[in-house]
This record gives sequence, C-alpha cells and structure tokens, in this order.
Amino acid sequence: MSGAMQEGTVDVGDAEESLGDRAARALLEYRDGRSGALTSLVREATPLLWHTVRAQGVDRDAADDVVQSTWAALVRHVDTIAEPKAVLKWLLVTAKRAAWEAVRKTRDDARRRTELPDDVLESGAALPDLGPGPEATVLDDERDQILWSALREVPERCQQLLKLISLADRPDYKAISAALGMPVGSIGATRGRCLAKLRAVLTDQGKVSWT
Amino acid sequence: MDMNSAQDGTTSVPGEAEPLDAWDMAVLGRLARVVEERDPVPDGLVERSLFAMTLAGLEAEVMELQRIDVPVGAVRSGQPLEARTVTFTHERLTVMIALSAADDGVSVRVDGWIAPAGPRAVELRQPGTTLETTADDDGRFVFEAVEPGSASFLVRLPGGTPVTTPVVEL
Repeated sequence: MSGAMQEGTVDVGDAEESLGDRAARALLEYRDGRSGALTSLVREATPLLWHTVRAQGVDRDAADDVVQSTWAALVRHVDTIAEPKAVLKWLLVTAKRAAWEAVRKTRDDARRRTELPDDVLESGAALPDLGPGPEATVLDDERDQILWSALREVPERCQQLLKLISLADRPDYKAISAALGMPVGSIGATRGRCLAKLRAVLTDQGKVSWT
Repeated sequence: MDMNSAQDGTTSVPGEAEPLDAWDMAVLGRLARVVEERDPVPDGLVERSLFAMTLAGLEAEVMELQRIDVPVGAVRSGQPLEARTVTFTHERLTVMIALSAADDGVSVRVDGWIAPAGPRAVELRQPGTTLETTADDDGRFVFEAVEPGSASFLVRLPGGTPVTTPVVEL
C-alpha cells in the first residue's frame, strides 16, 4: 500500500459505502494532504468510540481522554497502518485497549487510596461511573423502554455488540464484532445471532410495531 | 464470557442467517437513539479530538499524561469555590493544574505545578495560539489570563520526549 494512493481506489461511489469504507478513504486522503474526510470521520465515529470505551467501565472524564488519544494515535500512525480497510477496526481496538489501561489505572489508584485509613469517603468515588441507572433515566417513549428492557435479556456481550452496531452502518457488523473479540464468521449484512436473539425477545412481547 | 460457548452451545438462533430487513433497521435506529440518550457523548469531544489530532500532527513523539481523579479534599482551602483542579500523571512526571477566574472576570487563570520540580519550558496550546512560560525551581508556573476553551499543556524535558496532557476545557 503506498501513501500516494488516490481517492477512488476505495469504492467511493458505492451506494453501500459503510463507515468502514469512509474511514479507509479518510486515511488515504489524509496521507495525500487532504483532511476534510478525516474531520467528517471524527464527527461520525466519535459516538462509536465513546460507547466502545464506556462499555469497558471507564468513567466519563477518562473516556473523554481515551477517545481523543485514540484519534491522536491515528494521526501518529497514519503512515504505518498497512491496510486502510482495517482503519475502523484499528480505531476500535486501540480505543478498547486504552480503555482497559484506564480501568487498570483507576483500580490501582483506588487500591492505593483505600489503603489509607482516613480516606473512607473517597473509596467509593473511584468506582467506574456508568451513568444513571435505567430507572433514573426517563425514556420518554414507551417503545424505547420496551426495547431497552428487551436488550437486557440478551447476553451481555450481545448487548454491547448491538449498541455499537446501532451506531455504525450494518456492513460494519464484522469489523465491530472482530474488534470486540466476537468473531462472527462470514456474517456480512445478515441479521446475526445477537440481533436474532433480540428479535425473539421483542417478538415474544408481542403487539408493538417496530417499523 | 464467550457468546458462542457453553451457554449458547453451537445451536443457531432462528433467523440469524436472514438478511437485515426493515424491522432490523428500525430497531437498530431506535437503539442508537436510546444509547445516545442514556450516555450522551460529551459536548465538545469532537472538537477536542480534532484539536488533539492537530497537536499530534505537530509533535510526532510525545508522552501522554493521564488524567487522574484527585479526592475533593485535596483541593487547597482558600481557593475560590469555582476553582477546578486537574491532575495528570505519567511514570516520570506529574502536572497539577488549578483553574480559577482571572482578574478580568472573563479569562481563566491557570496555576500549575510540576513534579519533580525544576525549571522546564511549559506550553499552553489552544486552537490558533500557543502561550509559553517556564516553571520555576519549585516547579510552579502561571498563565494569568487564558481564553476559555480547549487547551493542552506540553512540558519540555531536557533532552527527552515532550510530555503532553489530553485536551481539556478551560
């Protein structure tokens, strides 16, 4: 792969262009001195990175830093990423590893602090903040609530995958699953196991129309 | 926990091999909204990321400091109530930043402290501007009036890789 590849070597005009394709194009254009596509990618993919990091149990402040440093790392490694098609996966894996590191640091820190006898008040503060619980959040639409509670009935890993899939494009299913360490084989844009499970739960609950 | 292991066995879930249809799209679309509603991406994160990328393009080699939680009690008494302290650390260096309102009431005053102490060049980088100062022998430095907004600190170590902080909102 040469850094001088021109736009067009990735299927730009493809109607099925996914987030992963746009990420590849952004990398190639950036190598070529054009940063517009990368800026758009940051806007589009930051929510996906944010929720990937948060799913690892990272508090909001630390997650903010992890997402930024993931994007900064992309710029630093822009010439060493051999396979542009794998940029989306690279971003997700980089974010996830940095999230684990942040969680490890927080735990070490918490352990050090709880060893201090007078520090009782702080011991709870180091627990990852996972945001308000389901009961604290008012989901204003009944269907949102049904969907949210149905989601909690599928396995934890499926919940994570479905949340992230929902934030990307369906053809990115495979990249996201791989980054989460959930190989899905040649799943392509098929419904897949997790979504099929969610559908079964929702179908059992009956009546509500989803389309 | 592997979704393909014991609990699920290798049994397939009915419908998993079917192509995505309008139902799937509708449910995923709704799910995206609910996910975003429950844990919204912080305001300005995209802008902070873009600025961090600009900085990364300028300094290829840096050590990144990590923000750490400092117990509330560690904020020195006598500071104005709205003062905010942020601490960043790395194996070789800790930088503590205290933010308060500047005398003009609009800008932000930044009081910083670097450990281990020593005279070091400190840069405060914001989109479009860079302010520079030097930490004194005790590791203290001050930027008296800084525009509120995204900023990252960079500390130059003699003969070493510069150290930077994540982009924070002043």
